[in-house]
Amino acid sequence: MSELGFEDVTVRFGGRRRGLTAVDRVSLTVPSGHVVGLVGESGSGKSTLARAAVGLTPVAGGRVLLDGQPLRHSLRAGSRRRIQMVFQDPYSSLDPRMTVGASIAEAIPRGSFSKLARETTHSRAGLTARRTEVSELLELVELPADRADVYPGQLSGGQRQRVAIARALAARPDVIIADEITSALDVSIQGTVLNLVRDLQRRLRLSMLFISHNLAVVRYVSDYIAVMYLGRIVEYGPADDVLLDPQHPYTRELLALTRTVEDAEPADPHHPPTGCRYHPRCSIGPVVLDGRDICRDAEPTAAGHRHGAACHFAENTTSIKEPTGDPTPAH
Amino acid sequence: MTSVPANVPLFSAMADNAWVRFAVRRLGRLLVSTWVVITAAFLMIHLIPGDPVRAALGATAPLELVNARREALGLNDPLWLQYVHYLRDLFTGQMGTSMISGLPVSQVIGDRLPATVELAVGAFVFAIGLSVPVGLTMAVLTRGGRRRRAELAFTSTSVVLAAIPQFLVAVGLVYLFSVQLGWVPVAGRGGLGSYVLPVLALGLGPAAVLARILRVETLGVLQADYIRTARAKRLRQRRIYLRHALPNALTATITLAGLLLSGLVAGTVLVENVFAWPGLGMTIVQSILAKDYPVVQGIVLVYGLGVLLVNLVVDIALALLDPRSTIRES
Amino acid sequence: MASRLRSTWGGVLRTPLGASAATLLAAVLLLAVLAPLLWFERADTVDTANILQGPSSTHWAGTDSLGRDIFYRVLVATRLSIQLALLSTAIGVLVGLLLGAAPQLLGARAGRFVTAVVDIAVAFPGLLLALTFAVIFGVGTRGAVLAIGLATAPSFARLTSTLVASVAGRDFVAAARIIGVGRVRVLLRHILPNVGEPLVVNATIAAGSALLAFAGLSFLGLGVQAPAYDWGRLLGDGLNSIYVHPLAALVPGVVVLVAGLAFNLFGEAIAKGIARTPDIAMAPDGPRDRRGRRPMRAADATGAQADLTEDPDRPVLAVEGLRVGFPGPAGVAVEPVRGVSFTIRRGEAVGVVGESGSGKSLTALAVAALIESPGWVQAERLEFLGEDLRDTLSRTQRQLLGTTFAMVFQDPTTSFNPTQRIGRQLAEVAQEHQGNTHAQAMARAMDRLRAVRIPAAQRRAHQFPHEFSGGMRQRAMIGMGLMGAPRLIVADEPTTALDVTVQRQVLGLLDRIRAADDVALLLISHDITVVGEVCERVLVMYAGRIVEDLPAAELRTRARHPYTRALLAAVPDMKTDRDRPLAVIPGRPVDPANVPAGCAFAARCPLADDHCRQADPPLVDDGSGRRVACWHADAMLPAIPVAGDGRGAGGRGE
Repeated sequence: MSELGFEDVTVRFGGRRRGLTAVDRVSLTVPSGHVVGLVGESGSGKSTLARAAVGLTPVAGGRVLLDGQPLRHSLRAGSRRRIQMVFQDPYSSLDPRMTVGASIAEAIPRGSFSKLARETTHSRAGLTARRTEVSELLELVELPADRADVYPGQLSGGQRQRVAIARALAARPDVIIADEITSALDVSIQGTVLNLVRDLQRRLRLSMLFISHNLAVVRYVSDYIAVMYLGRIVEYGPADDVLLDPQHPYTRELLALTRTVEDAEPADPHHPPTGCRYHPRCSIGPVVLDGRDICRDAEPTAAGHRHGAACHFAENTTSIKEPTGDPTPAH
Repeated sequence: MTSVPANVPLFSAMADNAWVRFAVRRLGRLLVSTWVVITAAFLMIHLIPGDPVRAALGATAPLELVNARREALGLNDPLWLQYVHYLRDLFTGQMGTSMISGLPVSQVIGDRLPATVELAVGAFVFAIGLSVPVGLTMAVLTRGGRRRRAELAFTSTSVVLAAIPQFLVAVGLVYLFSVQLGWVPVAGRGGLGSYVLPVLALGLGPAAVLARILRVETLGVLQADYIRTARAKRLRQRRIYLRHALPNALTATITLAGLLLSGLVAGTVLVENVFAWPGLGMTIVQSILAKDYPVVQGIVLVYGLGVLLVNLVVDIALALLDPRSTIRES
Repeated sequence: MASRLRSTWGGVLRTPLGASAATLLAAVLLLAVLAPLLWFERADTVDTANILQGPSSTHWAGTDSLGRDIFYRVLVATRLSIQLALLSTAIGVLVGLLLGAAPQLLGARAGRFVTAVVDIAVAFPGLLLALTFAVIFGVGTRGAVLAIGLATAPSFARLTSTLVASVAGRDFVAAARIIGVGRVRVLLRHILPNVGEPLVVNATIAAGSALLAFAGLSFLGLGVQAPAYDWGRLLGDGLNSIYVHPLAALVPGVVVLVAGLAFNLFGEAIAKGIARTPDIAMAPDGPRDRRGRRPMRAADATGAQADLTEDPDRPVLAVEGLRVGFPGPAGVAVEPVRGVSFTIRRGEAVGVVGESGSGKSLTALAVAALIESPGWVQAERLEFLGEDLRDTLSRTQRQLLGTTFAMVFQDPTTSFNPTQRIGRQLAEVAQEHQGNTHAQAMARAMDRLRAVRIPAAQRRAHQFPHEFSGGMRQRAMIGMGLMGAPRLIVADEPTTALDVTVQRQVLGLLDRIRAADDVALLLISHDITVVGEVCERVLVMYAGRIVEDLPAAELRTRARHPYTRALLAAVPDMKTDRDRPLAVIPGRPVDPANVPAGCAFAARCPLADDHCRQADPPLVDDGSGRRVACWHADAMLPAIPVAGDGRGAGGRGE
């Protein structure tokens, strides 16, 4: 149970001029024991942010913090990793040459078997302890213990995702990052995995960053929601607040409450628009309304706005809501 | 791709253009590779254990002669100085002197190079001319699992042909067509007839490999989504094959064709020896055996640069045919 | 793991290719071990009285310039030839493996340097490198072994690095690194086992090549030196007397060839064994026959013109009893579509919903006459605008479909030809079917691009597909379908690969086109919400059959099939109750190769009884156009943990 923090994190790919800034000065906190849902479309940088958290991608600026301490992703074998990840594609997240039990056992930190495992091993430590621990984990994800000797090729997509979850849990993480874990599954199976994840998170009081492009799924799982667009967080708040009363025009577009501006060119992460990145598509922006040049010229800040919305025309946290009409311009 | 905003200076706009970047990168690689080849050719002699001059002149040669030769060849200078001289000489077209014959190496190479080039180019043209139609036709005929027997026959024939080393093919052809049937001369470079066997020997194996790869690539392309789109557009079969399938199959095959051409260049070494063809191949073997290292060095350099040239042509052809390859590289 | 390995090798030995190659290889290796022990004396006996003789009873292949028996010399030379070949292969493979795995072991910087070096070395043909090394290491056996070994290394390194890179990018390697597994262990435990098989195959083939290369070097005189002899040396010696005494060259030549082939073919057989291709099973009437039960009518034979005078009552698409099949593993046919019937009227929007294994995509392809051998299509009726699509299309039919039947596929990235410009690909339709010139066709293409709201259409028409975004590509695809005057658009998962906001744009576009020209739409999707919003009628497919056919407006209120209701219940939306678990459908979707008897959904259905498990319910029309295939279509479902506001599984709902 720990708090995951992103402090002004920037992730860049490629050179300085022609490169791509996938994540641009993002600050986000996953409170201890809670689930933060991260929503965004392709090019938003949400997966990159996740990979930066686990150390798969180097961070070009800012820091990733765990319980306030900066994370150093050392490559030393055996060092305990307190942040674990479950991936999207069930067909490539398990080594096809290793049994399910071996994959899970590989994640168990050395010398830290469960109490039960330790108690049941008398003379033959190690192997038996491992097996017991693996069985416990399989049980935790509602798979029969005999699956440990099976190869991933013999399991269905939903079962593989559960094994992937068991493997992530085997490492005794404090934080779990779930990157689009149900996007590749059939609808009828999605529920099993989501129910399991929610259940485990509550029982084990894990902190979780849940990434998805599907708003309904994110709403179901998360306590808080953060919305990303072209590498920045444009809105953040408690799940129901954000979804029932979205402050940022992009969030409203995602919720189908407004339409995209017609004929807008799709966003190119290599050449993000000047000023507010969303302005070419914004239904209350300079393309549609007059007097909104500030959207083209200056990047909006989140400070002082409700839900930390990064919009020049979002409501302030202290302003009274108008019953009708445009929101009051921010300063 | 969004257009670059107008207020960006021209130079960086140019630099953003994928073609320019590709050309710069390719040129850079060419320069580095050339430098590597030149240096490798230079080092080759200096890595030989023992004294190259002594080895060339023989154990019984008088010491003064050996020393004089060493001096004449500049072998007593420090290594870096020899390197500088070597580079300088290269730029003026001098590649040293043969230790055995005393002739300038550039002259030896100049005499022999045309024969080798004729052979290599001839074999390449033959290989392409044979493999492209055959490969394509076989792919169309055997797609979707049709005609299993024909596929098996084609695959086994091409595997066997590809596996036979070129010098064996040469020996076999000589035996059959020259010794037994007497249709063409056995060896030497003369009239048109004397070209037949060497070209055949050199090109048959590569033709078989190319045909096989082209068939596999075309079959792969025929499974692609855009071919399904072309069929959904209800285009004629012929148009689908020639306009949509072939160009995409070719791009995958061009790389291999380039490799084969480079291999042909080396294959000439063996084939020339069978046919006593007066080209670089015979010369290099004789020179190695006679320990005439300057000649060996020069020929290795020429071969190396030839290979680099072939690779450059292949890369340019690929870039023209498949616009994604330039982007992919960056 | 052991049993899987054994099954691969066992499979290899069972094929004729594998068996013969293995036998040959075994014979060669046996010879290599035994021949010198048995025949060393005979091979070395000098007999100056019988120089350069032809074949005879005592000397089967004749004698060489010193009167030695060539046949036995060839046999004895096996050991040296094989030894040297294997040794140089081992050197090449080992060095190649190290160089190829270097980026993984040494990290990005050093790895890039090694890769650059290998890239340069790979450009040079092996023989050239071998000659260079032969000069350095000196003429002779040791030099030749090193030369060939190091000349093989670059291509092996390149192969290794390609294979390693492809595996290293996969999620399970990332997962291992996140767990904390060290670099070396990741390489040994995760990467190498997954690339082992192609490496072994290539090593075997490389051994064959090394054998031949060594023969070449010795042939030139640069390899094995007298008095030792290998096949190459014998070949070289024999070449000098090829007129007088051809066998002296041919016998070693043939033996070299056979041994080299043995290695190569064995390697190829293993490769085949690893990538098994399914056997061809015969379709009921033969794989190429797509005929339905009805014989060809006389009218069809004359190539009648399609009747384009619109009869508003005639359905645009009429399908009855559609079946689609493929040959499966072990020769048993698989039928992913098992009898589908529906009609689409002019201007109607019909959606097909199903999960994996439902057969919805194949239905779309079959209806569009795009299924090719070895797949087959059978139907009692398959008509588009009155034209029978079951046989091979005639020229007029092709033209009709090309201008009135539009297809939109799922993956816009791969559905366009990557080497042709977009405008040209659109123009092709007009050139082929409407006889336009290039200029006319391009003009129409640009107009169509504008019609699908692609900005800067003129410039975009000259761009390549990879310069478009996913949503724009999909719109261009729709534009391609609009080059003619379509009566039907079949869209197979058109928005699955797109973002939600782009999805709405594309669906909105389809809607606009429908409204403007009364175009019918067949929309295939796994997303029941999307289908419910866009279509007028919904067909729910499960295990190759339609299980329900109902108006989209009644999805939430009057769905009768248990699968439909379970599907609706399982999809979370913005009103799903967050305090209760999501509804699930127990079990998994049916595998088309293993369809159970009786109702395919019985294993997962709360209402299933013995009757359901034995008898497959037919699709029954209730008189109002709604159809359902269930024995218990009107029963009340027991309460299942429900998601949402009481709709779905908890009863028929209102």
